[in-house]
Amino acid sequence: MKKIIILFCFLISIAGFSQLTLSNGNHTLEITGGISSYYNERNLKSNEFDKSKNRFKLRDAQLQLEGRIGKIYEYELQIDFADIAANNANTIPDPENPGLMDAYIKYKGLGFVDIQLGYGKLFYSRSSMVPFVYSAYWQRADLVRGDIFSQRDVGITIMKNFWNQRINVYAGIYTGLGEISLNGENDASGQLEYSGRVDFSYPSRFRYRDIDDKISAVPMFAIGINGRYANKSLPDGEDFPAFSEGEFGLKVINGKKYVYGFDAAFQYMGFSAQFEMHQIKGEPKLDNDLLFNNLPKAQTKGYFLSGGYVAQVNYFAKSIKTVISARYEELDLNDLVKGNSRRFSPAIGYQLDGFDAMIKFQYFNIIKEESIDPFKWNEQFRIGFQLNFK
Amino acid sequence: MKNLKYALILILIVNTVQCQKIKKLKPERFVTLAIPEPSDLCFSFDKKSIFMVSDEGLLFETDKNGTIIRKANFEGVDCEAVFADEKFVYVVEETTREIKVFDLKDLTLEKTISLPYSGGRNKGYEAFTFNKSKNKYIVLTEKDPVYLFELDLEFKVINKIKLEKIARDISAATYHNNFLWLLSDEDNTVFKLNPNNYEVLKKWKIKVLNPEGISFDENGNMLILSDDLKRLYFFKTPEN
Repeated sequence: MKKIIILFCFLISIAGFSQLTLSNGNHTLEITGGISSYYNERNLKSNEFDKSKNRFKLRDAQLQLEGRIGKIYEYELQIDFADIAANNANTIPDPENPGLMDAYIKYKGLGFVDIQLGYGKLFYSRSSMVPFVYSAYWQRADLVRGDIFSQRDVGITIMKNFWNQRINVYAGIYTGLGEISLNGENDASGQLEYSGRVDFSYPSRFRYRDIDDKISAVPMFAIGINGRYANKSLPDGEDFPAFSEGEFGLKVINGKKYVYGFDAAFQYMGFSAQFEMHQIKGEPKLDNDLLFNNLPKAQTKGYFLSGGYVAQVNYFAKSIKTVISARYEELDLNDLVKGNSRRFSPAIGYQLDGFDAMIKFQYFNIIKEESIDPFKWNEQFRIGFQLNFK
Repeated sequence: MKNLKYALILILIVNTVQCQKIKKLKPERFVTLAIPEPSDLCFSFDKKSIFMVSDEGLLFETDKNGTIIRKANFEGVDCEAVFADEKFVYVVEETTREIKVFDLKDLTLEKTISLPYSGGRNKGYEAFTFNKSKNKYIVLTEKDPVYLFELDLEFKVINKIKLEKIARDISAATYHNNFLWLLSDEDNTVFKLNPNNYEVLKKWKIKVLNPEGISFDENGNMLILSDDLKRLYFFKTPEN
């Protein structure tokens, strides 16, 4: 750990005070990163007394190496030292902050498709694909932050774009254990996860960003559909690796899992809006699987549904360097259990130097909670600062 | 909650008022180009044709309507700026920090000049032209920050000026009618500058998506290149 910290300090000193990009004309290496920290305050329910979440937190201490060799190879290595330290100390890893964020190579030599190999974000869910620093929020919506379906995995992705990047197509095969895939072993089923996505934008390519900080001169929209499938039926007596199932037991299930999603985005003159919905259909192999909630097969018909939607609106007030966002989310963790949860979260960001130096404030409000996911608090406030050295 | 609502309304009003100060220009027409991801343009020295470069590392010569006449036998990386004089065509690669010099006659690569810059990989050189008023080449970085480097006739950097207060980014530059003209993609704005001290004299808003190139024809009409839409927009001279 000490060596890692020394390496981090050395690389930051290079990035901060010397070169950010090195090039010999063929190989170009860019060194970037970011640090962010916030203060969190929770308003607890009347019968709750644990105030341990009222604290300062180092959210990001990231270092990113991005390179290109000729026109054939690209690579990226992104590490978050704050997450590594936190995950070393905690028993349960945070899927949104896994420590190693990206480690992949992209081969562009075939011409008709590009191939990406290694560990990184899955091309599933537009909201998940938006780099987090380009937002006024401190936390993604619960639906897309990695507890329901994984954000990252090890595998191979084939990608192709058409019509000047207006249409993007991705198809990939992954270990299927999400961030836990980094442990190096598959589960006992030995099965993989398959994922695909197609998105279309008009009148031009639409970058994976939530905020219209370029103040688009013409209205732009994008729509996307994506799906994932895994059949990880375990041999009798075997279990999934620790933590791979996630907080709600949905990320990996002992049986078949289908995930479908739809997303749409719009932006014009600083206004932007996103809508995204996902549904999981799980078919657990065992009738006594906890996901069936002890209900008889006649009632469950052998499957459960889970999912929800997120709607977000944003405005970038360029003249006062301010980003304003508001987000509403509904989430039903399991249709076999009555009820769902509803959350509202506005955020505001004041840019001292674009997204690279920004004060961010987020407010969390639990409008309604689900019986299988009770909260200890009603409201939460988070304020802090992010600095990206680029 | 009520106070928050009033604050948001106030922010919208202030922002809208501040955005209305600058004159907006509307294009007269546009043509769609056959060039992939066009990233800059310049008129030839005799103003009879146009040179365009592409993010895909390509150099083209087109007629004045954007139809391809010839293509250089060259495949570079991320070409972001182009300028032509009576002998050569100069192409700037953003990520490699190199200026490629092509012979005007047959568009063959004559030489490569390395111009190291340690800023962000995609925040490197975006604009290049010749400043006749100072008899120097100038090359500008895109953003974070925007630097204007003055180069002597041997391409040695002799001055470095920070221009970050002008715009959030600079995507192209050209010298026209004894003034320096800059284009900002993120601010959708054209700037007219004093070429001696680089002070902004006037600016105009343009309604073009992802504007990446600017040049003027022999009659002073302004041409703007849209990268994302592969379009060449034709404007009347902004000062009319």
